[in-house]
Amino acid sequence: MIAARALLLSLFVVMVSSASGWAAGVKAKAEVSCAATAKPLEYDCAIKLSDARSGAALTGVEVTVGADMPSMPMAHNVKPVKATPGSEPGTYRAQIKLEMHGDWAVKVDLAGPVRDRIVKSMRFEPKP
Amino acid sequence: MDDHLTGILSNIGVISFVALSAYLLLLTGEISFGQQAFFAIGAYTAGIVTAMWQLPFWLGLGAGAAAGGAAALFVGLPTLRLHGLQFAIATLAFAEAVRILFELFRYQVVRAGEPVGPNGIEGFRNIRYIFEHDVSATQFMLIIYGLLGMTLFGFFLLERSRLGVAFRMIGQDGLLAAAQGVPVFRVKLMAACLAGAIAGLGGGLYAHLTTYVEPAIFDVMLGVHSLAYGLIGGLGTAFGPLLGVVIDIGLLESTRWFAGYRMIVFGGLVAVLLIVRPRGLLDERLVHRIRRLVSRRPPPAPTNAAVLGEEPS
Repeated sequence: MIAARALLLSLFVVMVSSASGWAAGVKAKAEVSCAATAKPLEYDCAIKLSDARSGAALTGVEVTVGADMPSMPMAHNVKPVKATPGSEPGTYRAQIKLEMHGDWAVKVDLAGPVRDRIVKSMRFEPKP
Repeated sequence: MDDHLTGILSNIGVISFVALSAYLLLLTGEISFGQQAFFAIGAYTAGIVTAMWQLPFWLGLGAGAAAGGAAALFVGLPTLRLHGLQFAIATLAFAEAVRILFELFRYQVVRAGEPVGPNGIEGFRNIRYIFEHDVSATQFMLIIYGLLGMTLFGFFLLERSRLGVAFRMIGQDGLLAAAQGVPVFRVKLMAACLAGAIAGLGGGLYAHLTTYVEPAIFDVMLGVHSLAYGLIGGLGTAFGPLLGVVIDIGLLESTRWFAGYRMIVFGGLVAVLLIVRPRGLLDERLVHRIRRLVSRRPPPAPTNAAVLGEEPS
């Protein structure tokens, strides 16, 4: 019973903290394009981030790219990789390794000054 | 905590809801291939409540669970009079119908200059509650596990109630249960509604965890897995399906030991376990043995006669 009480108390603390709400942050927009590399199932992804409202490029953001197969949610997760900033403002690059070809939901997670997640549905085919 | 680990733990927590939902019906002896439909209904409902109507998160989760339960009642009324294979096929047909309906479902509103809401096959994106309200990944994981703990506590109470006994009686032999005065259809309907609500709650959490849902997520694969979790983990306790999820998502998926061959290993595991342990790892017999071990009382204190070395007469 003590464990149950502790659980309820911790949940209440989280509920209160999450319900209080902070100011809504920037809503990000991303353009993602991935190209097959020489290695099988490895894809080089170029990401262009901007503010969805103002259209300004988002710089200095910590970007992580992962992927999930919609046909089997929560399985076939690709371990997220950190993206590196490109030469132009708001551009980032990341190399992801998939388990198989097919339809994937690419997840672009932003941390740092902007916290957001953008999900893009993409089809990954073998290199022709 | 590492973000990847938080993500895996959150996934394990969320999928546990749909596994528990299938487990609840397995207790009554019914195999459902359609619990993913209630998960989907809960996900879309909760998303609509928070992202489109801008109502609080807890209301969204509650609405998701209620919608899941109501949909289960709607399906249960005509189908729960069926048994075995017919019921399994009926649930599968319903789940596929729901998935296709979501492919056709378009309902969007404009929020901050952008359309938000379900958009057919494209899915429902921008369920951004956790980002708009700055809920961290760890906080959200705690919310998932808090609700999972509450659900497990509910199962703990259920197992000790007359209703829980009725579930297992029907699961063992419906005809015998009816002869004992158990209102079989009503009890089964109650189990189906509870199972639908649990799956709906899980769906609401899932939509907010991933920030997007699409009909492809809710195909039969998810239903088969949720059913398999209970069958692997065991039907003796609600921890059984959780063990199944941990084995699949936590061990096979996350460690990458069987990368690319996971489904073969998982399928093989289900097949072997169904032969060796038909009621899963934590089956009723093992759970009973563990309970006896835990609750074993210390031997009674020796009597005065025994202490004095006297032979009992």
